[in-house]
Amino acid sequence: MKKKILLATTGSPASFGAARVAFEMARRYDAELLLFHVAGVPKKGFSYQEVSDVRSQEAVQVDEDYMAWVEEELKTTYAKQLEECKNSRIILANGLPHREILRAARSEDVDMIVMGAHSGDSSASYSKGYPGSTLQRVAKAAKCPVMTVHRESASYMGGFSHIVFATDFSKQSESAFKYALSMAKEYDCEMTLFHALDITSKVLAQSDIEDKLITLRKRLRDVYGPKMVDFKNFEVDVWEGNPYVEIVKIARERMADLIVLAHNTRELDPEQASMGSTLEQVILRANCPVVSVNRPDKV
Amino acid sequence: MPEGILCNKQPIVTDEQLKLTLGDKSGKQYYAEMEQLDVDTDKLWSTIQNTMKSRLKTWLNICAKCGLCADSCFLYECNDRVPEQVPSYKIHATLGEIVKRKGKVDNAFMRKCMDIAWSWCTCCNRCGQFCPHGIDMGVMFSYLRGLLFSQGFVPWELKIGSGMHRVYKAQMDVTTEDWVDTCEWMADENSEEWPGLEIPIDKEDADIMYTINAREAKHYPEDIAEAAILFHVAGENWTMPSEGWEQTSLTLFAGDWEGCKQQVLHVYDAIERLRPKRVVGTECGHAHRATVIEGPYWAGREDGQPPRPYIHYVEWLAEMLRTGRIKIDPAKRIKEPVTLQDSCNYVRNQGLKNITREIMSYIVEPGYFVEMAPNKEYNYCCGGGGGFNGIGKYRPQRNIALLKKREQILATGCKLVVAPCHNCWDAIRDLEEEYPMGLRWSFLKPLVIKMMIVPDHLKPQDEEGEE
Repeated sequence: MKKKILLATTGSPASFGAARVAFEMARRYDAELLLFHVAGVPKKGFSYQEVSDVRSQEAVQVDEDYMAWVEEELKTTYAKQLEECKNSRIILANGLPHREILRAARSEDVDMIVMGAHSGDSSASYSKGYPGSTLQRVAKAAKCPVMTVHRESASYMGGFSHIVFATDFSKQSESAFKYALSMAKEYDCEMTLFHALDITSKVLAQSDIEDKLITLRKRLRDVYGPKMVDFKNFEVDVWEGNPYVEIVKIARERMADLIVLAHNTRELDPEQASMGSTLEQVILRANCPVVSVNRPDKV
Repeated sequence: MPEGILCNKQPIVTDEQLKLTLGDKSGKQYYAEMEQLDVDTDKLWSTIQNTMKSRLKTWLNICAKCGLCADSCFLYECNDRVPEQVPSYKIHATLGEIVKRKGKVDNAFMRKCMDIAWSWCTCCNRCGQFCPHGIDMGVMFSYLRGLLFSQGFVPWELKIGSGMHRVYKAQMDVTTEDWVDTCEWMADENSEEWPGLEIPIDKEDADIMYTINAREAKHYPEDIAEAAILFHVAGENWTMPSEGWEQTSLTLFAGDWEGCKQQVLHVYDAIERLRPKRVVGTECGHAHRATVIEGPYWAGREDGQPPRPYIHYVEWLAEMLRTGRIKIDPAKRIKEPVTLQDSCNYVRNQGLKNITREIMSYIVEPGYFVEMAPNKEYNYCCGGGGGFNGIGKYRPQRNIALLKKREQILATGCKLVVAPCHNCWDAIRDLEEEYPMGLRWSFLKPLVIKMMIVPDHLKPQDEEGEE
């Protein structure tokens, strides 16, 4: 199993689902859990002494007392989980959340980042002047898989038994595939290799759709079949529709407990891409954790 | 009390002292100690005799207190036009008085001078353009800040800022190791999207050496990555130094003259060591002023020039766009009303007013660029210059000072402000926080990256999957 999990949390209810999965995974698979929290975003021309508290949005002076208080708050919030998860550390930072998460992931060489999809509020200080949400920016740049748990109902964690791997045949999907397959092998899961034929922006004859589905199923088998080698517990499927809807639907139908896909949009500007990519829509709608993998480094 | 533990006449030169001062919440102890700090009047007077040259003496003597500078000062306008905010009044009530009394001033007077020097003047130098005698109060206030610093009367954050430069050679605690690692990190993080992207460190004889603002390394290294991407696309042979990369100078804002010299010498040493053909500085106004405009004099360079031609980012970018080394996709140009913030430090102080407008002509669809009024060398300070943005003690005054910029931006009707200066960028960010008006603001780099045409050979080879 993954050895080091970085749980990036605001400590607010919006990230409780992510915390639940992260702690459960750490416990179940004997991983080290790093409870990571950005305490404040620098104010006053990015000078040190004053930050805007990420939860209260109030301007606070950073000193040992404040950091100790934040740590105490986190310990109280996650008291039960920390009690059960002995192999854990709390790491605090100040700065822009996405950058500090990525910095910690790099310096700690973590194997996975787990986070909620949003901070639970529309706090301006997270993103002022920087397009994109924290999740978008972390998912885009992280070298390790990023697991997102959008809500508590998606956080049931009885181990993994069925993984849906959704592909758009992009280069990034290769890394996502490798990760999904290694998870499936390690935990002896069923795996669904899935592609959604996007028919939202065109009108196609039904026979054309059906022909394409046949072609795409063959492509899925041709591309990924040989790579499965001795892993047999998988099926291949292609559905037509709006990709994110179809991915969520097949995950529901197969009772999947993990969705793996690549996040290969380059657009960060929220006006251009906010919640527009398939990944983000899947994260918001899925009833299980969603892992995005972009890079080959940690798979 | 002659000297306090935190507030004293010595600059911070050790990490321990720096951490001790940083640990003082809001500078509470620091300012309490300041109330007890002795003024070394003899030293003050001898410093004035040794450092106050004929220009400043003449200016003080010939100022007729005519008040023509009054309307030039945005702080005068924002503060109900009280007479105390007239620039000539401000300088006569402070520096003029110290000189008149031959340095025989007391603690309370020095603290009053500190308030005025750091919260009633941003050293934007706008008043100098309106004085019939050509007197520049900004220059005189910079000088006054130096006197105050030497006596220990300097705002807490700027004492720390000056200490950061002396201890870390940067305005933030970024060590050489942190710095080099940050560059590697950024090259790595962007290498998939930009195959072949490099951030070369300490490459000798490159065409360009690039220097930055320490905040980029500390908090948003994306800015370094963006610069690297643009150098990469333009095909530049460039480098960054492992030491001497920090171009800013909080010592300039603090009035720490010795620190100013030390800091700029780090950069010049890097230039001498790596021998680039020329140097490019980041989108920062005071960094340019400190390293390119005033730096050569601090460093004692006889020709008044840095060791190699040293240009501001807007000059480099305009050249790239003009010569077609970076091409803008016309379809992606800005198609909404957009205005431009002229940074005092490289527009008024170095005349780079037209070059920024040339850039706007490439990146904005004709008809959408709206000038602020007044503009170019007559533009007002963003409201947070000269260190004003960073001083907690003067936050309320700074927030009032933002009102002029607010009024100017509102009058343009624009929601997007291009601000190629870190300090202006911050002031506009804070403007939106203090007085929400739906503003967006940007440096040039991310805008250009979004709208440039990337040559095929620089694109990643993979490509989008099917459907």
